[in-house]
Amino acid sequence: MTLVTWALLSLFVPLGVAALIGLVVPLRRTGRPAALISVAGALVSLASAGMVLAGGSAALKPGVHATVGWLTAGTATAVGVHLDGTSAWMLLVVTLVATCVQIYSLGYLHDEPPPALGRYFTYQSLFLFAMNTLVLAPNLLQAFLGWELVGLVSYLLIGFYFRKPSAAKAAVKAFWVTKFADLGFLIGLVTLYAQTGGFEWTAVTPVATFVTLMLFLAVMGKSAQFPLHIWLPDAMEGPTPVSALLHAATMVAAGVFLIVRAEPLFEQAALTRELMAYIGAFTALFAACVAVVQSDIKKVLAYSTCSQLGYMVAALGAGDTFAGYFHLSTHAFFKALLFLGAGSLIHAVHSNELKDMGGLFKKMPFSGTVYILGALALAGVPPLAGFFSKDLILEAMHHHGLHVPLAALAIAAFLTAFYMTRTVMLALFGAPSQAAEHAHEPGIDMKLPLGVLALLAVGAGFLGGPIAGLTGHDYAFHFTPVGGAGTAIGLVGIGTGYFMFGPARGGAAIMRGFAPIGAFIRLGLTDRLATVAYGVMLAIGAIIAWIDRYVIDGLMNWSGWILLVLGRRLRALQTGNVQDYVYAVALAVVVFGAWGILR
Amino acid sequence: MGLESYVLIAGILFCVGLYGILTRRNAIGVLVSVELLVNAANINLAAFAHFGRGLDGQVFVLFTTALTVAEVVVGLALVILLFRRRKDILLDLANGLKG
Repeated sequence: MTLVTWALLSLFVPLGVAALIGLVVPLRRTGRPAALISVAGALVSLASAGMVLAGGSAALKPGVHATVGWLTAGTATAVGVHLDGTSAWMLLVVTLVATCVQIYSLGYLHDEPPPALGRYFTYQSLFLFAMNTLVLAPNLLQAFLGWELVGLVSYLLIGFYFRKPSAAKAAVKAFWVTKFADLGFLIGLVTLYAQTGGFEWTAVTPVATFVTLMLFLAVMGKSAQFPLHIWLPDAMEGPTPVSALLHAATMVAAGVFLIVRAEPLFEQAALTRELMAYIGAFTALFAACVAVVQSDIKKVLAYSTCSQLGYMVAALGAGDTFAGYFHLSTHAFFKALLFLGAGSLIHAVHSNELKDMGGLFKKMPFSGTVYILGALALAGVPPLAGFFSKDLILEAMHHHGLHVPLAALAIAAFLTAFYMTRTVMLALFGAPSQAAEHAHEPGIDMKLPLGVLALLAVGAGFLGGPIAGLTGHDYAFHFTPVGGAGTAIGLVGIGTGYFMFGPARGGAAIMRGFAPIGAFIRLGLTDRLATVAYGVMLAIGAIIAWIDRYVIDGLMNWSGWILLVLGRRLRALQTGNVQDYVYAVALAVVVFGAWGILR
Repeated sequence: MGLESYVLIAGILFCVGLYGILTRRNAIGVLVSVELLVNAANINLAAFAHFGRGLDGQVFVLFTTALTVAEVVVGLALVILLFRRRKDILLDLANGLKG
């Protein structure tokens, strides 16, 4: 089988599974069998992605392009698959994390009623299809389709517990924020089409700056960049495996992937890239600050995801595509690990709050160990995955002379190490809470994905060379002063965290002092921002509604009214008196007769 | 008398009939006026047949007369129905078709 066949297999098997368990209602209602079918589909998809990659870099280097025409009337566009190193590796990352998450979900959602379980796995399979559509997109149009589809699935999965009002609200919020941002994608697409007559990744156009700015707006929504990050923390209302897959590893990274893919376009737009560097760095710092003061372990990880996505965007802004892409891959592994590890802790104590945990390491040595590994990888401790990619980003910022963003990212690196140490200390060590008394390790279905992801979180950093080879970049790890400083900052952060939240509890009082600041950042800024954005959206909506009601509907009503008046006037002609009609006929005969004679 | 006289008589008769149709309130009066119209046409047919060649026109007059009889029967039936419903046969008051 050819590479394209394998790629199509990994694309359409999840779709088939989603259609099967989604449309065959009795099957979906059975829950567990449907879940197992979905997992099998994900495994097939993963194996196919593996086969694509096994095809070797020789075949992938020039890129394999297989498309069929679509909407050929009037436009010349196509759908299909575009396989090169970038998409092939991303395909593997997505399918691998998705498979891990689906297997994990078998255990995590064990207590759900069967219909809900079936619904969950339908969405999971649909997500895999949507994400692969995006990853394999041969042009921006197909990417847009995938982009919107993952947005839809994200909405459905955040609102999985839709009977809970907060979850329903969070789903709607995520939907409208990302939908607002997606407007940028659409405007960018239309502009690009108007200018170049196509949707190519490699388009060359004088309006590249505008197009990329619009695309970046979409990226800000999907990849949770300030100020459109407001939906991501709320998205934690979804089940934890969903947070791991969509809102940490893959879907939110779609924005970063989009920029990597559209690199030729972004290369033409220096302004957009500079904006990206600053917004990314600011998001990284801002979100890290907020993460420090969260009391909910998932919220810590959510803001951490914002922060890490900020790193990637900043790196892409600096023009170092590979640094961003590499961090995307490593982050996908260790953040998924962290979320699933946190999920395992949450599963044990039935609470997201850090204060309900504590001392869990003794009860759950395996989950605790993998969580610590994930935290160390995120903090950038050598030789774990985060160390390589984060140092590469810092080095890239330094190399391109972006010193202000570099400083922001360095502080964020300190905060990252600090807040991860805080969660580790509060959740795994210290005095156990009441809820933690009866905690126990999860079953094998949850341990297995944790183990796989832990291996990757530890080892993915060493894949830098091969990934660079696949995607046509040069990369070999070498020690640099900036990278070394970044690592040192991370270690200092861990030390500070240990001092403040470790056995010494040196800083509990200090942290309490900081709590109002945290509350201000969280409520005063984030929520007010949401209110402002909400107000703006409502105002725009009101204007459009006014136009719709009074201009468009008005036109309709006006033409209707004209016909009504005209009809009322014409009605007077119908007197009902037969003689009047005869008179009209006679008159007509005279008139036509006269006309006939005088002509 | 030449053909012109007959045609003139027929024309006058037609106008009288039309005037009757347009102005009579009484339905029977309207029916009578309709007869005048038909007979104006009959005079034309007979006159043209007489001054032209052949008997076609005169045969047509017989047909028209028979047709008129049938028409009057229908017309009178309508008048009777109208009378039964409204207790009068004044056409200007029977304006049920008014829009």
